[in-house]
Amino acid sequence: MLLIAAAAVLALGGYLFYLDRLVTHQFEGRRWTLPAQVYAAPLELYAGAPLTAALFEAELRRLHYRRADAPEQPGTYRVSGDHLTLALRPARFADETRAAQRLEVTLGPKGIEGLHDAAGRELPVLRLEPLLIGSIFPSHGEDRIVVTPAEVPPLLPAALKAIEDRKFDTHHGIDPLGMLRAAWVNVRAGQIEQGGSTLTQQLVRSYFLSSRQTFSRKLREAAMAMALDAHFTKADLMNAYINEIFLGQDGDRAIHGFGLASQFYFGKPLAELELPEVALLVAIVRGPSYYDPRRHPERARARRDLVLKVLAEQHVVTAAEASAAARRPLGVSVRPSGAYYPAYLDFVRRTLRRDYREEDLTQAGLAVYTSLDPRAQGEAEAALDRELARLDRLHKGGTQPLEGAVVVTTPPSGEVIAIVGGREVGYDGFDRALDAHRSMGSLVKPFIYLTALESGRYTAATVVQDAPVDVKLVNGRHWKPENFTRQVYGPVPVVRALSESLNLATVGVGLDLGLPKVAQTLTRFGLTTPPAQVPAMLLGAVDVTPLEAAQLFNGLANGGFKSPLRAVRAVISHDGRALKAFPLEVTPIATPENIYQLDRMLVAVMEHGTGRPARALLPPDLVVAGKSGTSSDYRDSWFAGFSGSHLAVVWVGYDDNAPTGLTGSAGALPVWAHVMANLGARSWEVAMPETLAEVHLEFASGLRALPGCADDLVAVAVPAGTVLPGKPGCGFPEGAGAAASTPPSPSLKARAEEWLKRIVH
Amino acid sequence: MGAMSVRTLLFGLLAASAAASCALTRPPPSFTQPAPGAPAPSGSAQPVPGTGAPGPAQATPVPPEHPATPPRQFHLGTAATALVAQAHTEAAGGDYGQAAATLERALRIEPDNPLLWIELGRVRLGENNPTQADALARKALSLAIGDAAAQASAWHLIADALKARGRNAEAADAERRAQGLAAH
Repeated sequence: MLLIAAAAVLALGGYLFYLDRLVTHQFEGRRWTLPAQVYAAPLELYAGAPLTAALFEAELRRLHYRRADAPEQPGTYRVSGDHLTLALRPARFADETRAAQRLEVTLGPKGIEGLHDAAGRELPVLRLEPLLIGSIFPSHGEDRIVVTPAEVPPLLPAALKAIEDRKFDTHHGIDPLGMLRAAWVNVRAGQIEQGGSTLTQQLVRSYFLSSRQTFSRKLREAAMAMALDAHFTKADLMNAYINEIFLGQDGDRAIHGFGLASQFYFGKPLAELELPEVALLVAIVRGPSYYDPRRHPERARARRDLVLKVLAEQHVVTAAEASAAARRPLGVSVRPSGAYYPAYLDFVRRTLRRDYREEDLTQAGLAVYTSLDPRAQGEAEAALDRELARLDRLHKGGTQPLEGAVVVTTPPSGEVIAIVGGREVGYDGFDRALDAHRSMGSLVKPFIYLTALESGRYTAATVVQDAPVDVKLVNGRHWKPENFTRQVYGPVPVVRALSESLNLATVGVGLDLGLPKVAQTLTRFGLTTPPAQVPAMLLGAVDVTPLEAAQLFNGLANGGFKSPLRAVRAVISHDGRALKAFPLEVTPIATPENIYQLDRMLVAVMEHGTGRPARALLPPDLVVAGKSGTSSDYRDSWFAGFSGSHLAVVWVGYDDNAPTGLTGSAGALPVWAHVMANLGARSWEVAMPETLAEVHLEFASGLRALPGCADDLVAVAVPAGTVLPGKPGCGFPEGAGAAASTPPSPSLKARAEEWLKRIVH
Repeated sequence: MGAMSVRTLLFGLLAASAAASCALTRPPPSFTQPAPGAPAPSGSAQPVPGTGAPGPAQATPVPPEHPATPPRQFHLGTAATALVAQAHTEAAGGDYGQAAATLERALRIEPDNPLLWIELGRVRLGENNPTQADALARKALSLAIGDAAAQASAWHLIADALKARGRNAEAADAERRAQGLAAH
């Protein structure tokens, strides 16, 4: 008997020793897996920045700065007249860590007029801190932002002790009386009403144990809690608790620790939380799902107010403070931050996966700085959502909702500043911007006409034939494309053929140039898969994703230079070392002269052609260039176009590729125009290369004309010295050297046959 | 095309410009037009006064209506000036990556300023990447229309980039272009 007892004591002792070693070892070397944190582009402030008071304040609200009479605490600001005083938070950028500081901003009607620091010194340029837009958390879903004790408002540990564990400072890891009291309450209520676990026990449960509720597990938990308490300071344990505990669920993503919870529920750093917010987080600890303030605001509020009442009873705060806090709303942001931009984060993740292992991204605490512009992203989401809802109402016959995607870039940098992957922006599902491979339709036409300009045989003024096409294919079938209007337009200048997206004229030009030449141009501009060289390629039977379309058009918007589209600027390690940069690279892919001539025609598209409906939606003086795209049977509605500062590509269609009945101008164009109008875009105003000359043509005929002697004039650029036939009555030598600038045009049939010979032999 | 022919052409176009100047129903894009909505950054190019087109001249058979870009001179705005100074310090310390990142900040503020593209090209050349230096110089050149001094700097950079790649004959040609523009 005694032997058995001794053996049992020994075994128990051994087990306890094992637990003790386990706990201290694991906890000593504890390292939370730290998902990479992803940041948006910081807003640059400088004299001349087009940031009006309203826009500035919107940016501050996005960063959850709040107004204060005396902006002393970081994260507060004051507006008085044309003056803004700002208490900047400490911030970490890819290349700089900056302490909290005070900033004085003078604002004028057009934007920022001056920047000064607290001492009145002028600052040439300064960044607001970047918005945290999400994190790359592992598949088991634990996401967290680790905070140091200095980043924790003192109220939080005090409140946690008052609500969860009043004897935390004095007990030895467990509180037997508390447990008994809880057990008694639970027996009387017939259900779990009180936890009775100390903070240390909760920490053990979350850190070491599964969530099975068994008696043996309870004992193990108690033993481990005592071991932890014996080896570590209370301050250490409290900090561990604050970083460890589970506080909410967002799809696959588990919100751990108060640092992330503060961002998740309020969109601001933990250090800035005030009493009602701290009380809400403490309330949530007991049941993050049951007290979810977004799904069950009444329940969450009732428990928050109970927490406030107890805090007053325990003299953590005064009764007056508690009742004032209880009158405040929950203050939870509408959407959880970090789940805002799934399509953009998707692109970021794909970029990083080329260089980093999954574990590095999900565990190593990297900081990823991107070029996302939250304002542009918001405008793109809103425009797509609004316009698709409108189009759905117009086309009630549709059995499914229309879908869409938007990509916005700043062309010279090649930076992607916004991506919308579908209507349901918060939904982390099918990312159409990156994964929907759709026929590019007439978006191909600018690349055909660029090839034509490069051949040296065409200019914007060259008259081409819009005439029936009949190509006998290798399989014996005939390919007989038509114009969208099913009409035939006869002789038209190139600028009109492109502006009105005339299929027959374009096919004629494309066959004359040869399919391989057109395919080469597309590849040069960034098409990743070489297109199948069939005649239908000339009408856009080439599958591209919206992101690829943006890459292609970025070269047109960037003066003939290719900048690979990128979203990540830099990756910084947990200890602040620069790990990787994705620097700006440019490659010349077309001459500035040819691109200028083409871009002027794309401006004409907006003034005279299929882009014209955008005019009513854009600021009247904004010069833009673009091209609509409609694939066969109206399955895809595209618009791609640019201003002097931004490029946007919009796709609208059905996921199952059903016809929409929408042309590019009817579906994608209004979305594009709303995005462009709301971005604060600058006009496209590129200096004309010295070897070109600007001339006016009669739009319909392509004859040289001057204002006053023809009705519908279009301005184009042609190589200087190009001889053009003049319109009678405009004072030009009539028909002078008409053939000098136009290539002899053999019949389409002859050209088609010649082309067929070339590809067959 | 040689430097001479570019200049000859420029003068020809300037001369021809007086022949026809007309108002349009919608003004075509032109850089003298201020950007609506947004104030142009202080560093944007201004036409140089007093250097307008010379008197009327006989045009070639079909004269262009609009002249090439009038002479102008690019300079850096306050923010870009500060960032370029910072980039110089960083590059002098051998941190080319950081210098390039700082210049990219400046380029986001003034993307159409050729001087910044030249600065970035100089950094790339400093870290022995003459291919990018050359491409960046050509980007600068495409933006520097009308600014002989900026064009000269771009050609200097192209010459240096070509030299770094051992293409000495082409480098000498680029250098001659730069000197021709500077003299002008």
